[in-house]
Amino acid sequence: MANIKDLKKQIKSTKGTLKITSAMKLVSAAKLSKAQQAITGARPYADELEETIKTVGALVQNYEHSYLKTNDENKQTILLVISANKGLCGGYNSVLAKEVRRFLVETELDVKVSFIGKKVKEIIGTEVNMGEFYTFEKTDPNFAELQEVGNKLATLFTTGEIGRILIAYNSFNSAISFDSTVKQVLPLSLDENAKAKVTEQFPFDFKYDPNAEEILDTLIPETYVSTLWTCLLNAVAAEHGSRMSSMDNAVSNCKEAIKTQTLKMNKLRQAAITTELIEVVSGAESLKG
Amino acid sequence: MANAFTVDILTPDKVVGKNIPAESLLIPTVRGQINVLADHTHIVSKLETGTLSVFGGADDPDRHFSVTIGVCKLLKDKVIVLANTSEEVHEIDVERAKRALGNAEDKLKSAETLSEDELVKYQRKVGRARLRIQMAQEHKK
Repeated sequence: MANIKDLKKQIKSTKGTLKITSAMKLVSAAKLSKAQQAITGARPYADELEETIKTVGALVQNYEHSYLKTNDENKQTILLVISANKGLCGGYNSVLAKEVRRFLVETELDVKVSFIGKKVKEIIGTEVNMGEFYTFEKTDPNFAELQEVGNKLATLFTTGEIGRILIAYNSFNSAISFDSTVKQVLPLSLDENAKAKVTEQFPFDFKYDPNAEEILDTLIPETYVSTLWTCLLNAVAAEHGSRMSSMDNAVSNCKEAIKTQTLKMNKLRQAAITTELIEVVSGAESLKG
Repeated sequence: MANAFTVDILTPDKVVGKNIPAESLLIPTVRGQINVLADHTHIVSKLETGTLSVFGGADDPDRHFSVTIGVCKLLKDKVIVLANTSEEVHEIDVERAKRALGNAEDKLKSAETLSEDELVKYQRKVGRARLRIQMAQEHKK
């Protein structure tokens, strides 16, 4: 049975953990609000860009761009997995790893997996066909760095080395929930349904300045990078959200543990006092007798 | 015919302005400045680095924004501007722009060592910084 001294030590160490977890929670909360701001700022732009490109792409005939070409023959695919560099964020990394694993089992494509963030790589790195590992300080997502990665991948795509670029990330819903998603970024797809809807919505054509081709030429790479960027922002926001909620759990668990340990310690102490009292009283009794 | 349409200005970082009421609008495009009034025809156009002015008419204030490359989309009662960077005049940090201008010009002086992409990049930086400084001075009053 544990003695009082041991329990005291235990309580002290749990209190230490509590301090760390609550600090981490606060830090994550602050980072989350920043990341959330970034994502809410970026979403309208990305949505609008996608909308525009769909509209223009549907209305313009005979336009070709290397980012739009689908090549079903080419099964070479790169899957870019955006995960965290640090752990202690609940199911954030393992859920994503599971999703990637499921995707790899189901797909018929020849997939090479690249990573941003090392955690998922540590989990599934040995099971998959490893591609490049890109590192950058993800806590402060940097547009230029991401653009570089994006351009590298795009070059592989345009030269026909790979037929598809997919991206796996956790999409941010709210501070406590996210979805692990696998999404295709290249080739950009303008499906027929969207086309029909656009023609319905805009029965007339736009005027283009300088001309439609040039606009699409600028918009398409922009959309590609912006898609990557929003994915990254989503992932970062989801990470902080996930860490915050898991640290919140940890904090309440710590408090719970401290409570039970303190109770146990008090009981033990009381028991010791009672025994001592009985000894004193019975000693006095025997002297009387 | 006041405030016949609204303007959204979006950048990859943030929403600069949403549903800004406007009576008339000046947009810098690659083919020169265009003026947009109510019931304008639908246009999709490429932007040039420059000043975008929203005139609110009698009821709303005039607002001026710096914009850099991007596109704008004109719909019936809505104008959407997608720019790489944009800020309203009072947000411009003149000191920062001046520093950026100095840096970029220094880089351009050593032009031989730069690749073509970098050259374009720094030229754009100079353009942006000059625009910001100029705008800030014009609207200081």
